[in-house]
Amino acid sequence: MSIADSRRGRWIAALLVLLGIVVALELFAGVLGVLVDIVDANYLRAVLRLTVPIAFAALGGIFAEKSGVINIGLEGLLIISAFTSIAVAGLLGGGDATQAELWIGFGSAVLASVLFALLFAVVCIEFKADQIIAGLAVWLIALGLAPFASKVIWGQVNSPPIATLNNWTLRIPTTDVVLFDASPPVFMMLISVPVAWYALNRTAFGRWIEASGENPKALDTVGVDVRKVRYTGVLLSGFFSGLGGAGLALGRVGQFIGGGTTMVNGRGWIGITAYLFGNYNPLGAFGASFLFASLDALQIRLQQLGYNVPSELIGIIPYVTVVVVLAFVGRTRLPSAAGDHYESGEE
Amino acid sequence: MWGRNTRREFLGAMGTAAAFGTTGFVQQGTVNVGMVYATGGLGDNSFNDMAHEGVQQAAEEYDVEFQNSEPSSPSDVGSLQRRFAQSGNYDLICCIGFVQQDALSENAQRFGDQRFMVVDTVVEQPNVASYRFREHQGSFQVGHLAGLLTTMEFSAGAGETNEAPTVGFVGGQEVPLIARFEAGYVAGVRHANPDVEVLSAYAGSFSDPAQGQSIANSMYDNGADIIYHAAGGTGNGVFRAAQSTGRFAIGVDADQSQSIPEYSDVILASMVKRVDQAVFESVESVVNGEFAGGSVNELGLEQNGVEAVYGQDLGPEIPEDVKSALEQSHEAIVAGDIEVPTDPANVGEGEGATTTTNQ
Repeated sequence: MSIADSRRGRWIAALLVLLGIVVALELFAGVLGVLVDIVDANYLRAVLRLTVPIAFAALGGIFAEKSGVINIGLEGLLIISAFTSIAVAGLLGGGDATQAELWIGFGSAVLASVLFALLFAVVCIEFKADQIIAGLAVWLIALGLAPFASKVIWGQVNSPPIATLNNWTLRIPTTDVVLFDASPPVFMMLISVPVAWYALNRTAFGRWIEASGENPKALDTVGVDVRKVRYTGVLLSGFFSGLGGAGLALGRVGQFIGGGTTMVNGRGWIGITAYLFGNYNPLGAFGASFLFASLDALQIRLQQLGYNVPSELIGIIPYVTVVVVLAFVGRTRLPSAAGDHYESGEE
Repeated sequence: MWGRNTRREFLGAMGTAAAFGTTGFVQQGTVNVGMVYATGGLGDNSFNDMAHEGVQQAAEEYDVEFQNSEPSSPSDVGSLQRRFAQSGNYDLICCIGFVQQDALSENAQRFGDQRFMVVDTVVEQPNVASYRFREHQGSFQVGHLAGLLTTMEFSAGAGETNEAPTVGFVGGQEVPLIARFEAGYVAGVRHANPDVEVLSAYAGSFSDPAQGQSIANSMYDNGADIIYHAAGGTGNGVFRAAQSTGRFAIGVDADQSQSIPEYSDVILASMVKRVDQAVFESVESVVNGEFAGGSVNELGLEQNGVEAVYGQDLGPEIPEDVKSALEQSHEAIVAGDIEVPTDPANVGEGEGATTTTNQ
């Protein structure tokens, strides 16, 4: 136990340092925005924006998998919410939807993602479907359903462009000094990560989630309903993925693109690798998401400087990393009961 | 969906049967056309929609009926081709996009009596007419435009140029086809002004506007004021970035200032590929019994297969001397005085300009 504690302590310390550096850089760039090289602030801002859908998918995946239900349908949930957010906001307000209409779209998207996750949970928990197959089904259904619905609504797989959410600006009170200026989903992410960490590590609910994935029988024995805990875990994965997908669509792009792999383009899968890399720790998952996003942003810069880094190669870095981490570092360990059904009163 | 008039289909099938082996046979009755689109699907505001327009136009002018089919992934393309070919009801199957190449090479052999046409690639089979565009020539034109405008003070619509003579290019996937766009564009920019810096990057996807936006934002941050995209849906992110930073963009495939009017205040021009023209011509050739299997039709500036079309809002604001310079380079390319490279590696410093004789 003490070994596990000290290891976890090291992880947390490392991640806090990383987070500290990020926040410090961001604050520094914000306060001295005029003085420091503007490009660096922009770079960091771009990275944070790229991190949003990945980190939210990762947070969602952590809650589901820690509770014992492996949800590999995160990519599908992102697609559903990205689509719903644009569809609802676009139908309400058309091309120049007001901020209120955009927020209604945002809320609907989260709701749609949660409902989809509920469907997945019912299939996995009530009907004891194989979680991996059910998760794949979520992705495949979303991949087909969203472009299809786009065609029904707009007559084409891509939506027309609509407005995006206004940035939120954090000022030092009573002054004009801007501390931090970013789109709302970025703020939500920076708040969600520590909250998720706290919920998992410092609350009774977090212990139930952990027990539900590690030793559901023990949890059952002390009188907590494993099914309820698992439902909550999966629904939370829908909630966070909803924030991620809507954040991608409304916080940034203002359009739904349904061709090919859709506009989500594998970010949900990278989210899975991020939380595996981060060893089911929200802070680690955020760090990994941030790392992958910054590599991507760096790759964009390098290409422009004439270094021909194939973007496909950068694209596989998350997956290679996870294989390396899983195979050689061995820190990541799946919850013992993840993927198994639990029936109260068995044996 | 499949076949709304069986009698006509039957007659069409008879017609096709009669046409087997007799090239030069003038089509009697309705010509049935099967359309297999590229993976972007209809509603991409560019490539596939243009092909659709072409066949619609043919249906208006001639006794032509058509059936659309859209693959949901590249692996579907082959089975859609086969479905049309197996039914034997289609006088021509139009295969849109380079994604069709491998499947068509196979199916054209298997269905040797079926006429095919393919856009954007070459399939060397006696029953396939290939239509390829000289995208590099059209890209040279928009590059010329970008190179001229970035070196001057220009402000129109929602954008304005900045001090730095820098422009950008955003590609979808790094494939030889898209590299042609880049090569032509860079050569065009250099032709306008060898001192202009061109930032290029590939998004790795044709459907990732968020990535397109990130790339464009970083280019605009680094001094670019005009970005040309050849990236399908990814390019929508480039337009969004142009609008949010108050810079310009150049569209691709269709006149995007018309197909996405929301962005017409930043779209200077579009490099239009007349896919509609290619589809229309091929259908027309079948109607007239002049279908030339095995032919490779290169559609460049000369054939109006590609062209730079000014944006509907910003076009009128572009200075006349810029437009006439573009006309000159257009003529020089058609006359062969300017050789436009097709590989970005072959665009030397000012090379596009060295072969020029239109001074």
